Amino acid sequence: MDDRDLVGRARRGDPEAFTQLIMQYQVPVYNMALRMVGRPDDAADIAQEAFTRAWEKIRTLRDAPFKSWLFQIAANLCYDHFRRGRRYGEMPDEETNKVIGLGIATPDPQERAEARERNRLVRESIEALDPDMRLAIVLRDVNGMAYDEIAGVLRVPLGTVKSRIARARAQVQEHLQQYPDFFPSTREDARAE
Amino acid sequence: MPSEPRIPMEPTLEELSAYLDHELDDGAKARVAEHVAGCADCKMRLDGLRQTAYAIRALPMETPPRTFTVPATSRRSVRWAPVAGWLGGVAAAMLVIVFGVMHLSLPPLGMGTAGAAHPVSGGLGQGAAPYAQGAPYRQVAPLEGSTRYAPDSALSASSSNSKTVMDAQSSSRSLTISTDAASYHASGVVTIHVTTKGLSTEEASSVRILLMRETGQGGYLVRLAAPSNAPAFPSDYQAAYSIPQMQLPAPVAGNYTLQVTVDTSDHSGLVAWLPLTITP
Repeated sequence: MDDRDLVGRARRGDPEAFTQLIMQYQVPVYNMALRMVGRPDDAADIAQEAFTRAWEKIRTLRDAPFKSWLFQIAANLCYDHFRRGRRYGEMPDEETNKVIGLGIATPDPQERAEARERNRLVRESIEALDPDMRLAIVLRDVNGMAYDEIAGVLRVPLGTVKSRIARARAQVQEHLQQYPDFFPSTREDARAE
Repeated sequence: MPSEPRIPMEPTLEELSAYLDHELDDGAKARVAEHVAGCADCKMRLDGLRQTAYAIRALPMETPPRTFTVPATSRRSVRWAPVAGWLGGVAAAMLVIVFGVMHLSLPPLGMGTAGAAHPVSGGLGQGAAPYAQGAPYRQVAPLEGSTRYAPDSALSASSSNSKTVMDAQSSSRSLTISTDAASYHASGVVTIHVTTKGLSTEEASSVRILLMRETGQGGYLVRLAAPSNAPAFPSDYQAAYSIPQMQLPAPVAGNYTLQVTVDTSDHSGLVAWLPLTITP
């Protein structure tokens, strides 16, 4: 069943259809918000508010794809978050996160520690981006959206999407190059060595 | 007089980045490919961007700390007469039921013949509708004889696919889901072990297991019904489900998410996800 069926039913007041939409999008929307604002509780608040607003406004949704529309709502809430002066929050370390995975791909402690550090550095590099670039690269590389979908979410031309993603990647790369032990292959001079 | 073959103009940063994403038109794509093939510097730039994108994509998808619902106040503000129409009378009162992720309105468990795949009704009093005609999800019962209560913990202990979620308010309250593998053949059987700790019988009995898939154009889900023949709902059980009986839409092979949720008395709920892969 695709979104159009569910959205059609949700627009007619079918709560279970909207519940399915929540279930389908809760993880991607939450993770988009998480990479935008940093703190899990803030991201969860944003995701919750996005679903609430989507439910309240779904009758106004006409031909636009639900996914882009939902992410647009969530993205606006992320911008509101910063307009209110809220800062990028610190993501808890995986070890202290209340969600604990048991036995999932348990590499040795050294590998796990390195993976955690790599992830921390990547998050740090994303945090350093301005919100426009951060959102573009999050939608692309975290949520896996195509450029035209991203343009729909951001309501900007395709060329702007292309430019923001490219500049964001270049900045992230520059940041990660400072840590060659963790990201040797991001170094432009790596092959020259 | 024929000219020397020339390497195409150096691509811009935007072009290299879009090339990685397959977002260039055919002409630009060919031009970038040709240039990169003959230019070590640009190949390095491209590799750097590629590794950067991979590093970002390697960030784990995090589990939300709570499930998302639509508050009752906002639902009341939505005036949808047709809903009350098909609910009718007493059933209309059920609208006040919280129906978010934690509160799927489902028919009672105990879906009859074990092993059969059952279409679930539209809920909230709506009549049963075949899956293919738009019913929200299919429900699949455990395979007959597969259910074990308080099984030994061998499955959880040996599982490479297991997740435990702690209650934010109390670490003694938790929900654990494990499967006997992370990857299954499309004709295979998924064995699931669910354990709750520190939860009341009522809380534990609210467990719901859903197999979900996002296709990019939307998604679908199948509910894996909990065993229905226990005298009191067990806090620890294991059950097996046939993948063919789930009647997953083609192509069946792909990446899925197994979600288990439990309602808690403080309405925060517990939810855990596991990735599952189905192979052709």
